[in-house]
Amino acid sequence: MTRIEFERSGGFMGRKVTLNLNLDELPPDQAQTLSLLIDESDFFNLPDSPAKPPVPDSFLYTITVTTDTRQHTVHTSDTTAPERLRPLLIDLSARARAR
Amino acid sequence: MHKLRNILCIIPPHMLREIGEKGTANQRTLALATLSHSNEIRSLRFQKEMVERAAMMRAPTKQRNVYDAKNGSQLPGTLVRTEGDPISTDTAVNEAFDGAGATYDMFFEVYGRNSIDNNGMRLDSTVHYQKGFDNAFWDGKQMVYGDGDEDLPPAEQLFRRFTASLDVIGHELTHGVTQFEANLNYFSQPGALNESMSDVFGSLVKQRLRGDTAGQADWIIGEGLFTSNVNGVGIRSMKAPGTAYNDPVLGKDPQPAHMSNYVNTIEDNGGVHINSGIPNHAFYVASIEIGGNAWEKAGQIWYKTLADKLNSTSNFQDAANLTFEAAGELFGANSLEQNAVKKGWEEVGIAVGAPPQGEGCLTAVLRAVGLAK
Repeated sequence: MTRIEFERSGGFMGRKVTLNLNLDELPPDQAQTLSLLIDESDFFNLPDSPAKPPVPDSFLYTITVTTDTRQHTVHTSDTTAPERLRPLLIDLSARARAR
Repeated sequence: MHKLRNILCIIPPHMLREIGEKGTANQRTLALATLSHSNEIRSLRFQKEMVERAAMMRAPTKQRNVYDAKNGSQLPGTLVRTEGDPISTDTAVNEAFDGAGATYDMFFEVYGRNSIDNNGMRLDSTVHYQKGFDNAFWDGKQMVYGDGDEDLPPAEQLFRRFTASLDVIGHELTHGVTQFEANLNYFSQPGALNESMSDVFGSLVKQRLRGDTAGQADWIIGEGLFTSNVNGVGIRSMKAPGTAYNDPVLGKDPQPAHMSNYVNTIEDNGGVHINSGIPNHAFYVASIEIGGNAWEKAGQIWYKTLADKLNSTSNFQDAANLTFEAAGELFGANSLEQNAVKKGWEEVGIAVGAPPQGEGCLTAVLRAVGLAK
């Protein structure tokens, strides 16, 4: 079991978009892509990386990944996100906006 | 201020030129404001011209660079247009370039400010940031613009490119000005004031370019950002906060127009884009009360407050008190302009002159009767 909770808030409009995914319920190819992005980001070892001080109008991201054995949450932003997290961030943002 | 007026009256032209060339923004603003309201005296009119002419001599410091992130996240990206270059074939590049220019021009020509840092800082903008980036921001050094949600199927697209709206560009550049002046903390009320300053001067850039008086202006922030799929006229309304959009997908514009509807939240850095509706509307009301072009008098009052009076922890009450104070210094105590500022804040539920938050009523009373410092 792998679940992803994603939230994007702030931005010029201050509008929040959220996404809750259970990878077991997704088409296999999509679940596989997301699993790969989580692995490649080394998600469970990522530190928080919020913008400090906050960047005016920047989006604020909160990502939580939960598996059977562990759970980890990362707060980050466009200007401070680690490079290895960006592909996952962009994928989740696209899914959240499309809903 | 009155002291300054007297001093300026006896300052010879060559010294006025010095103020225009080497003075601080504050000195130039004060000089211009003082002189512009003493037009009945011919010699002062002449002196005003001297200050303006001297200020114009600093003009060549307008330097704009526009970069292309080519849908990536690296900033600033590839330089695609700089000062003196011909027009680009890329609309977003030209919008970012022209919008930064219009904003620079207003700050320079109306408020005597030489760029973001008042020292000729180059204006850097990046367009085509990421893919499907429905946002714009100021990263502390430069402006960044996305293309909206161009990656979605047309029927699902909500946002166009963020350079499409001139007031958005003015808004982002003003975040830079605020950073170099009051440096308002980007959280809660100081953060909402930071946002409001960006909306105020962003809107004024648009009003000035279009030649709209306060009464003619639409007071919409982000007009033209929504696609036709959205039921809305823009992101925010300074005239009627809370009415800019009401849409099945986006929901309803959440901005309050009055302190009684202030939103307490930790999201969005404490609701900085929500509660900014309150000071935004105060500025709108003050502008309408004063009449004419909002960038001239109301804008002058707000600019002076931002540049000389607010600090990083200022709240709405502070802003009300200090804009009132600035209006008194610029236009005189009990002037039409000062009363307009008072009315503006009253309409949003803030009484000018009330003690700043954090100071109890008892303390204020004790101080008034001399029992407390």
